[in-house]
Amino acid sequence: MALLQISEPGQSTKPHEHKFAIGIDLGTTNSLVASVRSGKANTLPDEDGGHLLPSVVQYSADSIIIGAVAKENQVKDPHNTISSIKRLMGRGVEDLKAQFKSLSDVLPYEFAQTDSAVPKIKTAAGNKTAVEISADILKTLKSRGEKTLGDELEGAVITVPAYFDDAQRQATKDAATLAGINVLRLLNEPTAAAVAYGLDSGAEGIVAVYDLGGGTFDISIMQLKQGVFEVLSTGGDSALGGDDFDHAIAEWIIKEAGVNTSELSSGLLRLVLQQACKAKEALSEHSKIAIAIEFSADNKWSGILDREILNSLIDPLIKKSLMSCRRALRDADVEKDQVVDVVMVGGSTRALRVREQVGEFFEAEPRVDIDPDRVVAIGAAIQANALVGNDAEGNLLLMDVLPLSLGIETMGGLAEKIISRNTPIPVSRAQEFTTYKDGQTAMAVHVVQGERELVDDCRSLAKFELRGFPSHVAGAARIRVTFQVDADGLLSVSAKEETSGIEASVEVKPSYGLQDSEIEAMLKASMEFAGDDKDARSLREQQVEADRVLEAIDSAMADDGEDMLSAEEREAILSVRQELEISRHNATETQQLKDAMSRLEKVSAAYVARRMNASVQKSMAGHQVEEFK
Amino acid sequence: MSDSIFNLNYFEIFSQPVATEPDVNLLKEKNRELQQQVHPDKFANSSDAEKREAMQKTSLINEAFDTLKNPVSRLQYMLTLKGVDMNGETDTSMDGAFLMEQMELRESIADVRSQADPLDILDSILAELKSKAKVLIVEFADFYQRDDLEKSREIVRKLQFINKAQKEVNEIVEQLEDELI
Repeated sequence: MALLQISEPGQSTKPHEHKFAIGIDLGTTNSLVASVRSGKANTLPDEDGGHLLPSVVQYSADSIIIGAVAKENQVKDPHNTISSIKRLMGRGVEDLKAQFKSLSDVLPYEFAQTDSAVPKIKTAAGNKTAVEISADILKTLKSRGEKTLGDELEGAVITVPAYFDDAQRQATKDAATLAGINVLRLLNEPTAAAVAYGLDSGAEGIVAVYDLGGGTFDISIMQLKQGVFEVLSTGGDSALGGDDFDHAIAEWIIKEAGVNTSELSSGLLRLVLQQACKAKEALSEHSKIAIAIEFSADNKWSGILDREILNSLIDPLIKKSLMSCRRALRDADVEKDQVVDVVMVGGSTRALRVREQVGEFFEAEPRVDIDPDRVVAIGAAIQANALVGNDAEGNLLLMDVLPLSLGIETMGGLAEKIISRNTPIPVSRAQEFTTYKDGQTAMAVHVVQGERELVDDCRSLAKFELRGFPSHVAGAARIRVTFQVDADGLLSVSAKEETSGIEASVEVKPSYGLQDSEIEAMLKASMEFAGDDKDARSLREQQVEADRVLEAIDSAMADDGEDMLSAEEREAILSVRQELEISRHNATETQQLKDAMSRLEKVSAAYVARRMNASVQKSMAGHQVEEFK
Repeated sequence: MSDSIFNLNYFEIFSQPVATEPDVNLLKEKNRELQQQVHPDKFANSSDAEKREAMQKTSLINEAFDTLKNPVSRLQYMLTLKGVDMNGETDTSMDGAFLMEQMELRESIADVRSQADPLDILDSILAELKSKAKVLIVEFADFYQRDDLEKSREIVRKLQFINKAQKEVNEIVEQLEDELI
C-alpha cells in the first residue's frame, strides 16, 4: 500500500507526526514512568490514580504481582516477594556478602546455589536474577505508558544512579532489553533531576544535585546555561540510601527488644524493617513515635523512637554522603559559595536531618520545593521527548561525565588508569602496551573500574584475550588498547597489535554480569511463557499498519478519487475500505486483519497505478524529455 | 575532507591560538557550542554511521577540552605539536636545586600530621605550589616560543612533579577533613 502515499520529496504525507517516548525512573523503593504530552511533562498514573509503583515483585507458581499489592504481601510471603532489587543489579555473589554485612545472614531471600557469578533468588516461579526481576517492573511501567498514550512507543530513557558502574549500567540495559524496551538512553538520575528543575525554574549557574534515594546516593555538580546541562563532577555511593536508615533503625529495635537477629524469621525481619521505615517517615512530621512489635507470644516489645535517637542512628550515614559532596566539589574545582542552588532529590531527602545537614554543609538553604519522587522521571521524559525529535527548538543538551575511573591491570596486580573519573563522555582513549616475555603471542587484558591502586580493590569489569600476534622479543610487540565510553556511560574495549594489525574487540560484559547467552535464554523463556503477549503485540502492530493504510487511502481519495475513479470503482474501494475499518476494531486474530488489508490492496491496485502515472507525468511537466534519459 | 574536525589540532578545534594560557571561559563557551552540533543525542534518529561519527567527534572534542583545561596536559600537548612526545620518555634529567626543593617539600608534607595546625600548613603549601606552577608556565612560554624544546620539556617535568605533590596534599587534606567531620 506504500504506493498510495505519493509525496513530493521533502514533504511528508503525514502533516504532523508526534512520536511517543517515555522516561522511566527505575528506583530502589518506587518506580515511575513519565511522558511529555502537549508540551508538558508529567508522570503517568495507573488505573487507580497512583503514580508511584512500589518496586516490589511477588512471584507465585502461576502469576506475578507487582507494586502496592506485592508490597503489602511482603510480611506474609517474604521469600517470594522481592523488594529493593536495584541494590543487587550488576552485583556478584561476593559483592553482596560485602554489601549486606550488617544484616547479611538474614537478607530475607533464599539464594540458589549455582555456578553463575550472578546471584539468583529462589522463588515459587523459579530462580530469578536481579535483571529478570527488574525487567518485570519495567514491563509494568512500559505497559502503563502504552495504555496511557495509546500508541506504539518509540522507546524509553531509563535513569540510573550517576554513580552506577559499568556492570550496574549494563544490567539495567539488559533488564530493559528483556522487557522489550528500546532504550534511547541511560540517563544519570541527578542529571535528569537537573533538567526538570532547570527548565522549570529557569535557573542558571552552578547547581548541586543531592540525590538520596532508597538505595543509592548521588551528588552531581552541574553548570546550567541556556538549555545546556553540563555535569562538572559526580560522586556518590551506589549502596547508600533510605534502606540503610531503615536497617539502622531496625538494628536499634532488635537491640532494644533484646532479641537475637539470627533467631528472627524472614517474615518477622520484614516486619521490623517495615516498622522501622514507618517510624522514620513519621519522624519527619512528629518529634517522637511509639513502635510496638510482637516478636513472640512472650516478647511483645514496645518503645519510643525520638528524633534525637534517630539522628544518632543516621548521622554516620549522612556524614558519608557529605564526604562525597566535598570530593565532588573539589573534582569540579568549585567552591561552596559558587553554588547557586542545592537541589534535593529522592524520597530520603524528606528526612529533616538530611536537609539540615546538607544545608549546613553547603551553607545554603536547600531547595525542597520540587517533588523529590517525581522529578527524575519527569527529566527523563523531557530527554526522551527530545531524543525522538519532538523538541522543536532543539536546544536541550546534556553533557555528562564518567563516574568512576577506568583502567587495566598491569604487572604486580596494579591498576593503571586509562580514563579518570569525571572525564566528560563520550570519550575514547588509547594506551600502548608491550609484551614482557620473548616469543609472547597472546595477552590478557583485565579491565577494572574504581579509584584504588590495587586491582583487587577495584571492580573487575571484564577479562579478554588478544591472541595470535607474531612472536617478537620481549618489549617489541606494540599492543594498542582503546577504551570507548559512549553517552550512556557504557564501555567497549578494542585491542590491536600494531606491527601485525591483529585486532580483538569486546563489548565489556561485566565479570559479575550476565553472559549474552544467559540473556538470550531468558528472552526465549519469557517469549514461551508470554505467547499471549506476543500475539497481542503482533495484533497491535497490524492495527497500527491498518490505521496507516486507512489514512493513506482516505487522503488519496480526497485528493483525486473523484477524477481518477468511476463511480463504481469508488464504490468498490469504499466498501472494502469499510470492511477493513471494521476489522481494525473487531479483529482478534492478526490474520483477519492482514486479509482485510490485502483485499483492499487488490481492489485499489488499478487506482494506485493511475496515481503513479499521473504523478510521474506531473513531475515531468515542464522538463525536456532528454533530462530524464 | 580537509575541513574535518579530525584534521585540526586541539587549539584549532576551539578556534583559539596555540597559547600556554588560553581563555578558559572562551574554551568552555566554544565547547558547549560545538557539542550542540555534534553530540550523539542530536543524532538519535540518524543512521548508525552518523551516530558513530557523532560519538567519535564528541569524543575528540571532549579529549581536546580535557587536555587544554589542565595546564600540564596542555603544555605537554603543545610540545607534541612540535614533534616532542613526552609519554614514556626515559630522559628525566632535572636541575638539582629543584629536586632538593621538592624533597624538602615532601618531607614537610610527610610530617604535617604531627603539626598543631596541619590544614593551615597544607593550605600554604598548596598556595606555594600554585604560584610556582604559575612562574613555570610563564617560563615555558618563553622557551617554547624560542623553540628551546629541551628547556620546555624540563619545565613540563617540573610541572608534573608539582602536579603530583598537589594531588598528594589534596589527598591528605581530604583525609584530615574526613576525620574532622
